[in-house]
Amino acid sequence: MRLRAYAAYIKITLKLTLRDRVVLFFNFLMPLLFFIAFGEGMGAETSPGAMSQVLSLVLMFGVLGTGFFGGGIRATMDREAGILRRFKVAPITPAPLLAASMITGWAVFLPSVVFFVLLARWRYGWDQPLNFTSLLIVVSVGVLAFRSMGLIIASVTNSMQESQIIAQLLYMPMLLLSGAAVPLHILPDWLQRVAQFLPATHFYLGTQGILVRHETAWDNRAALGAMLLAMAAGFWVSMKLFRWEKDEKVKPAAKLWLAGVMVPFLLIGAWQMIDRRNEAKVRMIERQSRRSQSWLIRDVRIFTGDGSVIERGGLLIRNSRIEQIYAGAAPDPKDVRAEAVEAGGRTLLPALIDSGVALSQPGGRVSQKAIEEALKAYAYCGVGALAVPQDPQGMADLARRKVDSGEWLGPEILPAPPAPVLSLTAAQTTAGDLSLLRDDLSQQFFPAPYLQSLASLASARKPAPEALQQAIGALRLAREQGGLPSPSGGAGGWLQLHGPGLVHELGLWVEAGIPPGDALMAATAAAADRAGAGNRLGRIRPGLDATLLIVDGNPLEDIRALGRIHSVFVRGERIVRGELASENKKAEK
Amino acid sequence: MSAPPAIAVSGLRKLYGDFEAVRGIGFEVAQGEIFGLLGPNGAGKTTTVEILEGLRQRTAGEVSVLGYDPEKETAAVKDRIGVALQATNLPEKIRVLEAAELFAAFYTRSVAVEDLLRKLQIWDKRNAFYSTLSGGQKQRLALALALVNDPELVFLDEPTTGLDPQVRLEIHTLISRLKEQKKTVLLTTHYIEEAERLCDRVAIIDEGRIAAMGSPRELQERVLGHARVEVTTLQPMPEHLPESWQGGVGAVFSDGRRKLAASSAKPARIVVELVKWLESHGVEIEDLHIRRPTLEDVFLELTGKSLRD
Repeated sequence: MRLRAYAAYIKITLKLTLRDRVVLFFNFLMPLLFFIAFGEGMGAETSPGAMSQVLSLVLMFGVLGTGFFGGGIRATMDREAGILRRFKVAPITPAPLLAASMITGWAVFLPSVVFFVLLARWRYGWDQPLNFTSLLIVVSVGVLAFRSMGLIIASVTNSMQESQIIAQLLYMPMLLLSGAAVPLHILPDWLQRVAQFLPATHFYLGTQGILVRHETAWDNRAALGAMLLAMAAGFWVSMKLFRWEKDEKVKPAAKLWLAGVMVPFLLIGAWQMIDRRNEAKVRMIERQSRRSQSWLIRDVRIFTGDGSVIERGGLLIRNSRIEQIYAGAAPDPKDVRAEAVEAGGRTLLPALIDSGVALSQPGGRVSQKAIEEALKAYAYCGVGALAVPQDPQGMADLARRKVDSGEWLGPEILPAPPAPVLSLTAAQTTAGDLSLLRDDLSQQFFPAPYLQSLASLASARKPAPEALQQAIGALRLAREQGGLPSPSGGAGGWLQLHGPGLVHELGLWVEAGIPPGDALMAATAAAADRAGAGNRLGRIRPGLDATLLIVDGNPLEDIRALGRIHSVFVRGERIVRGELASENKKAEK
Repeated sequence: MSAPPAIAVSGLRKLYGDFEAVRGIGFEVAQGEIFGLLGPNGAGKTTTVEILEGLRQRTAGEVSVLGYDPEKETAAVKDRIGVALQATNLPEKIRVLEAAELFAAFYTRSVAVEDLLRKLQIWDKRNAFYSTLSGGQKQRLALALALVNDPELVFLDEPTTGLDPQVRLEIHTLISRLKEQKKTVLLTTHYIEEAERLCDRVAIIDEGRIAAMGSPRELQERVLGHARVEVTTLQPMPEHLPESWQGGVGAVFSDGRRKLAASSAKPARIVVELVKWLESHGVEIEDLHIRRPTLEDVFLELTGKSLRD
């Protein structure tokens, strides 16, 4: 086949496509309508994560549309209209026709990618770093793969009606289950697994990975490989089954070829059943998307972590960092493209840092599941970072990686500080006082039977009543000597109750005579400095991580205010506390 | 030395499952000849032609098109022939010039597109979308596409079906010109006039076989051998025919001897004798004409069916 035939056919197909208003409608206008509708509806202005989701959705619409309808239905129409018949008598094979369909679909679609990215930048202030080359690679491979699937639809159907039906049968589930239209993480587990068998899911995870997680095309090589395989298989099957005339019928069994092209996705789906990496990726995308939300906290008292207090101020969170602090009135949220958190009468402080946590369970056993649950409890209770000693199983490192990547929800995992760490809470329980279990936070987060079982386990031990007084003595001595230790909720002690210990601890400190401001500083700025994380955590200052806590009232006057948590932000993600608590109560039952 | 035939077919058979669409066809088409395949729908014309064009595989027989076997050397055959299909279409929004240039790019050899479109009188329409063309313009474009590779052999499948008579004449003129250009044409049609007017030779196909083959004139003569003289008179004619007609002339009365049909190899002589005979008996002639047998008559005679179904 001479190149001249390919060039001529591709050129004319491009021209014809651009003359076809239906194509322009499906490629630009319809996605544009969705872009605007979802952009407004999902709050894309204040959330780059939502904007990325809208972009992925629009790209998905485009790719599915141009593949199944632009590629498949079009080819069937040309055959039905007797157009292909005319080419049959010319000395050409189906190859230039199929190639032209693929290349045209690609060439006409790519400008829309640029268009929508620019629209996101200009209209919605979407300012995320973007590896545009990688995005183009993933979108290109996606268009070609779905286009070739469309061509197979044309190859295996005998009428327009049939190909419409098959196209719809593939289009709807792929759109709905891919994650583009409905977030994957809200689907039931089994549906999430099913989704891993759909080509569209891999396209979606590819674009979202690049848009949200700043991945490269290479990071998505498995999905790209599957799509390339599908493209090659699709092209080959289309060549084999190509029919120039509508009178040539294909046997019903030929529809099985369609399944043949899905083989790469069956393999990748089966692999994901074992590997689960995509499930993790779904969570990371979701987490990073939440972390990128912009927030404007207004009308709030700000405890900066290093002693000073702004009585009425505001704070802007953008891209998971503290962008700006306002003394007095904060600007209009619209002007700074952020969602408002009205916090009149409340206090904003750096999220607390627990300086001594052992992630192991009694008997030294550890499970990933248990650690994941423990970390949620900390986040619920306003703890933004944990200092965790190294353990032989490497669980601390594993937890750090999972939290950093966003697979797990939870506080940042810091190395254990060299400085003295003290836990009155641990001493209190050792002394036989289980008041920690009666704290509001404990009661809110844990199911009652669980707390009761902890209580009965603890009461079986012989109490050491002097332990608390000894610990209080050590705390006072340290204070007299001019340096407070770092507080710990004492989860490494008897009770093994992860989460509410640190708030309880600070209450004990104040009872022991430590001024609330000093206690809070010890649990924030000082703890961060000692763990070597003072440049990211522990203070409210522009450029630091937005790992923050809002409580009702003023803990500087009444430390018990710490237990009345209004909001927790971890790296810009506002923790949905109610959901965490109800999930935890359900799971423990 | 005579040139090899453009098409040579012998013993051609084609089975579709149990159905035998072509049952042993053989013919040759000389270079520069316009050859017609005449027959009703379903006679096997299209199957035969598609085998020649390299679109279908034959079940048995020998086929040579321009010296190639279209089944084995399909590309070579397709590159050298031109085809105008019957039921075909082009994309609605392709322009005439674009279509011609597109098809020109498919072939090794191509003519200047502008000349071709001018010759076929659609140069003025070169920028029109295909969907805006009239039936005649579409057919002229189809001819242009068939000629874009300057083929030695052109297949025209029902080139005027569905066109009105005026346009049909225009297309006939264009086809006649192909002969002047020394092109070989294989034409399928079910219009008798078209075959009579255009073809040097015709094969009548029925139920997968060639029922008769020859020039239109030969076929007419072979079947009936005679022209018919038909006369209508005001008074009944005498019972006894002229004596000189004994033996050589078949005559049949009808309408109470007011009509007579006489067939003979020498119709002019019959007319003279007939007029003398009637005058001598004082019978006045109302109407008289000589009718040559048409291909339609031939067809009817050979196959017992009408061409128009």
